[in-house]
Amino acid sequence: MSADIKRSVSLYSYQDSYYEGKLDLEGCLAETSKTGATGVELLAEEMIKQFPNPILTEEFQEQWKGWLAKYNLTPTCYDAFLENRIFDNRTLSLGEQIEMMCRDLRMASILGFSCIRTLVSTPIEVIEGSLEYAEQVGVKIGLEVHAPFSLNSTWAQGYMDKLDKPGSKYKYFGWIPDLGIFCKRVPDVLREKCRQAGAKEECIKVVDDAFEERVAKGFVKIEYSQDLGQANMNYRNANGQAVLLDKLKDMGAGPADIEYLMSSYTYSWSDPQDLIDNIDRIVHTHAKFYNMHEDFTETAVAIPEVVEAYKKAGYTGYLSSEYEGGEHLRAFQEVPDVHQVALHQEALRRAIEG
Amino acid sequence: MAGRPIYDSEGFRNVVEDGKTTGFQFRFKLQYYRGITLSIIRDIKVNIDGEDIPREDVLLTVNGETFTLEECRTVISPLYRWEFGEYATVTVRKEGGLSAGVHHLNVLQHIAPSYMPFPIKAVCEADFEIA
Repeated sequence: MSADIKRSVSLYSYQDSYYEGKLDLEGCLAETSKTGATGVELLAEEMIKQFPNPILTEEFQEQWKGWLAKYNLTPTCYDAFLENRIFDNRTLSLGEQIEMMCRDLRMASILGFSCIRTLVSTPIEVIEGSLEYAEQVGVKIGLEVHAPFSLNSTWAQGYMDKLDKPGSKYKYFGWIPDLGIFCKRVPDVLREKCRQAGAKEECIKVVDDAFEERVAKGFVKIEYSQDLGQANMNYRNANGQAVLLDKLKDMGAGPADIEYLMSSYTYSWSDPQDLIDNIDRIVHTHAKFYNMHEDFTETAVAIPEVVEAYKKAGYTGYLSSEYEGGEHLRAFQEVPDVHQVALHQEALRRAIEG
Repeated sequence: MAGRPIYDSEGFRNVVEDGKTTGFQFRFKLQYYRGITLSIIRDIKVNIDGEDIPREDVLLTVNGETFTLEECRTVISPLYRWEFGEYATVTVRKEGGLSAGVHHLNVLQHIAPSYMPFPIKAVCEADFEIA
């Protein structure tokens, strides 16, 4: 069955090539196009210098439009960072935060994006207070559902209670699942990094077996709380982190073993059925991945099962490649981000068209 | 294979003002994935050859403008972001600067992106030579 699922690349993926000056913004767009993706996701604060000033100039707007035409790309999602603690002595007021959110909605609209990504730390009141403007400019606000958060959880319900209301502006709120919530294994690049740092095979096995067990049994989902740090700690311990930590210590674990354990809790597994249940509210997708192999398999994310769920649900939005394996490599070697994204796009294409 | 470079290998030098050596400089990149307003820099802790430099003796230059770390706390202009992938210049006030020869630099970049429950602290080390 062919599906109307479209493919995009988040320019987050090319951060190492950009950092080293191998690719500039246009270079990233060119690479995106070469993969066969038709959509592009932008982190304006990553690649537009003196943000947001240039976006307001005709010169940049023309250049951007020209690039999109040249590389045959549609703007998919604009990743916003609500810098609500921009000063160290206070959190911005609700009014200031809404003003900042609306600034990003405006920038996204100018550049032709149909949605923005906001982060899990965004207060519900800020989203609600920005929806009228979102509707006015025709740009949806997508809340990223990033591990350890998940759909079909009390955390997600906390947002739905306030934002799933009648009224046209409420249609401008939705979810952006990050596929890191569909990890069946701990990424091999993390395991290898910890191994190189001295993690012991028997400790690695304990952590991997425990992860596999959590996947089989189902993860305990994170609870809704305004205190994200506390919610995260409760979530980790509800999923056995404290018990495992004691076990590793009894085995004489060193810092690299402990790092492997703690890092393993940044990955999680949700039932792909969650996507089907929430499809009406899914505005975009971060197709997170960590290490593509040459045979087009991904080390951790269950690409075929996830894409199957999207097909079943009749998703017509974008899957946007978001490469995050570089963080485990960049201290030791060059990060093959361009190649990784190309492999991932091909894996997505096969899953979508297969 | 070598990892991602942090420092500008050409950027290590003594600062000479009116014939007097008043300190030293280096240039390095932000260890993050987007540009930031200087206001979210919590600290740049400099240690040279084992010696901690007092916070007030560390200055940061971006886009031609120089700020003390205390001043950085209020810098939110788009003109003076520490752009992703670009070097910022750090000037360290230290009478006499650095002696000719090899030195070891250890700098902690401490930034606090609003959405993160914990700040980012990146240790950046370099060995370099002053001619």
